[in-house]
Amino acid sequence: MRTFTHINAHTVNEACELLGQYRGKARLNAGGTDLLAMLKGDIWPEYPEAVINVKTIPGLDSITENDNVLKIGALALLSDVAKSPTIKEKCGVLAKAALSVGSPLIRNVATIGGNLCQAPRCWYYRYPRRLGGPLPCLRKGTGPCLAVKGDNRYHAILEGKGCFAVCTSDIAVALAALDAKITIAGPKGERSISVVDFFQPLGNTLKIDEMIKDFQIPATMLSMEQRFLKFTLRKPIDFAIVSVAASIGLNNGVCTDARIILGAVAPMPFRAKAAEEKIVGQPISDNVAAEAAEKALANAKPLSMNAYKVEIAKTLVRRAIKGSTAGLGE
Amino acid sequence: MEVKVNEQTRKKSEEDKHISLVINGNQYSLEVGYGSYQVKPSDTLAYTLRETLGLTGTKVSCDDGACGSCTVLMSSKAVPSCMILTVECAGKDITTIEGLGDPKTGTLDPLQQSFVDHTAFQCGFCTPGMIMSAKALLNENPHPTEEEIKEALSGNFCRCISHYQVLEAVLAASEKDGGDND
Ligand SMILES: Cc1cc2nc3c(=O)[nH]c(=O)nc-3n(C[C@@H](O)[C@@H](O)[C@H](O)COP(=O)(O)OP(=O)(O)OC[C@H]3O[C@@H](n4cnc5c(N)ncnc54)[C@H](O)[C@@H]3O)c2cc1C
Ligand code: SF4
Ligand code: FES
Ligand code: FES
Repeated sequence: MRTFTHINAHTVNEACELLGQYRGKARLNAGGTDLLAMLKGDIWPEYPEAVINVKTIPGLDSITENDNVLKIGALALLSDVAKSPTIKEKCGVLAKAALSVGSPLIRNVATIGGNLCQAPRCWYYRYPRRLGGPLPCLRKGTGPCLAVKGDNRYHAILEGKGCFAVCTSDIAVALAALDAKITIAGPKGERSISVVDFFQPLGNTLKIDEMIKDFQIPATMLSMEQRFLKFTLRKPIDFAIVSVAASIGLNNGVCTDARIILGAVAPMPFRAKAAEEKIVGQPISDNVAAEAAEKALANAKPLSMNAYKVEIAKTLVRRAIKGSTAGLGE
Repeated sequence: MEVKVNEQTRKKSEEDKHISLVINGNQYSLEVGYGSYQVKPSDTLAYTLRETLGLTGTKVSCDDGACGSCTVLMSSKAVPSCMILTVECAGKDITTIEGLGDPKTGTLDPLQQSFVDHTAFQCGFCTPGMIMSAKALLNENPHPTEEEIKEALSGNFCRCISHYQVLEAVLAASEKDGGDND
């Protein structure tokens, strides 16, 4: 790994100030499970001059409940999120998503904030310098996407425009199903944004001098039925081929409210509004679930090698909807 | 602008010039710098253990967080030392495979002995990582079920398919530990 200036930040303000001073040439390090891979591969067009450690900022890893909001600090470890009794009890979808990430080793160091900000896993994007990379492409600001005509078996089937790399954050899918808000700190103070709006086709809305401080989950979501399903080739380590997180409100078996989010199918977490509309007001049945799954994928435009993802996605949506009624589904 | 950053940087790195940490019960104070005896800001813990301190029991295979061969214990949790910067380990308590047995008598940790007794390795490259992950599990949960062992070791890959014997070795060690055996 090429070297850099290393700075321990002690407050959120200090971290943001440093980011501003380096004008985009510094990167934050939380758990490092993604950052160090990006640095070892020397994958970004510009190697960072500085790495700013945010683990030295106290208090950013807490999980607290107050004022009808469940608040999770950006530096909470995935292993702690997966184990937290509060999270397990109130937002099982998030606990399950956290437990599905990587391996126990990764979860013992990886943070929830870092998970949302991870770089894409597109193999053209990640091509390391020592093997002749970085490969220029749309996402890197130069040249067309290499995946469209290349090996795109794990790429987007929905909403791909210029770049077809999928958002691989499992935590983002779960948090979006919980309608979580992100608190972002910057030099001018804090702002709040929903998880769905945080993501953009080529990344996220963070400015060069901003960082994620915490996540807030409204208590109203916590009473809904929650479900997280992730299809991978191997159980540990592998990223999702498709994942689905759903929050479903039920009253006597009739769906009163729904949020259904698909992961790893689009450059951003994909909210399947058409599927939600299909099930709200309906008693949950095999038929309703199957129709909703068709609707969720109605606009799918697979690339040359990934049509198989459409069927997997439909199956997961169907199971997520059915499983939310006790006794139905797996 | 450039100058301002450098000044700030110099001040900052001054502050963090030494990294104090405990490895296998020994206190180390490592100097940050660019000499061969020093720790570069970009050195991973795995690199420092092997190349700077000569503790080559910890192996590096993927160097990407994906195989577990570099597993060490940090504050008693199993972590991938290839994805951790040494300069961020100040104040940490680290145990490597060298820290398990008794260096004076050469007696192995019961878990290590159980790996030997069950020939729970072939080439042995993954073994230090397997043992460290299993050690973290047994410290927290002395009597794990088979499923719990599989889950705890799910980030440790073995190229030679030693997994079946590893499972037996860990199970046997956990039974012995509680005195359930004989
Ligand atoms: C073997 C392996 C398997 C994996 N499997 C999965 C998986 O199944 N699912 C999944 O979702 N992910 C997976 N990952 C990706 C992964 O690294 C993360 O899941 C992890 O949570 C990232 O968190 P971190 O704290 O290590 O991030 P870091 O590496 O520290 O940071 C990642 C990025 O986010 C930025 N950042 C970190 N914290 C903040 C913050 N508070 N505000 C703003 N920016 C910030 C950093 O600058 C960096 O660019 C896997 C990774 C590996 C190595
Ligand atoms: S999918 Fe995105 S990241 Fe991958 S090659 Fe195309 S533009 Fe680049
Ligand atoms: S070498 Fe660290 S996980 Fe593979
Ligand atoms: S024994 Fe050879 S890699 Fe496991």
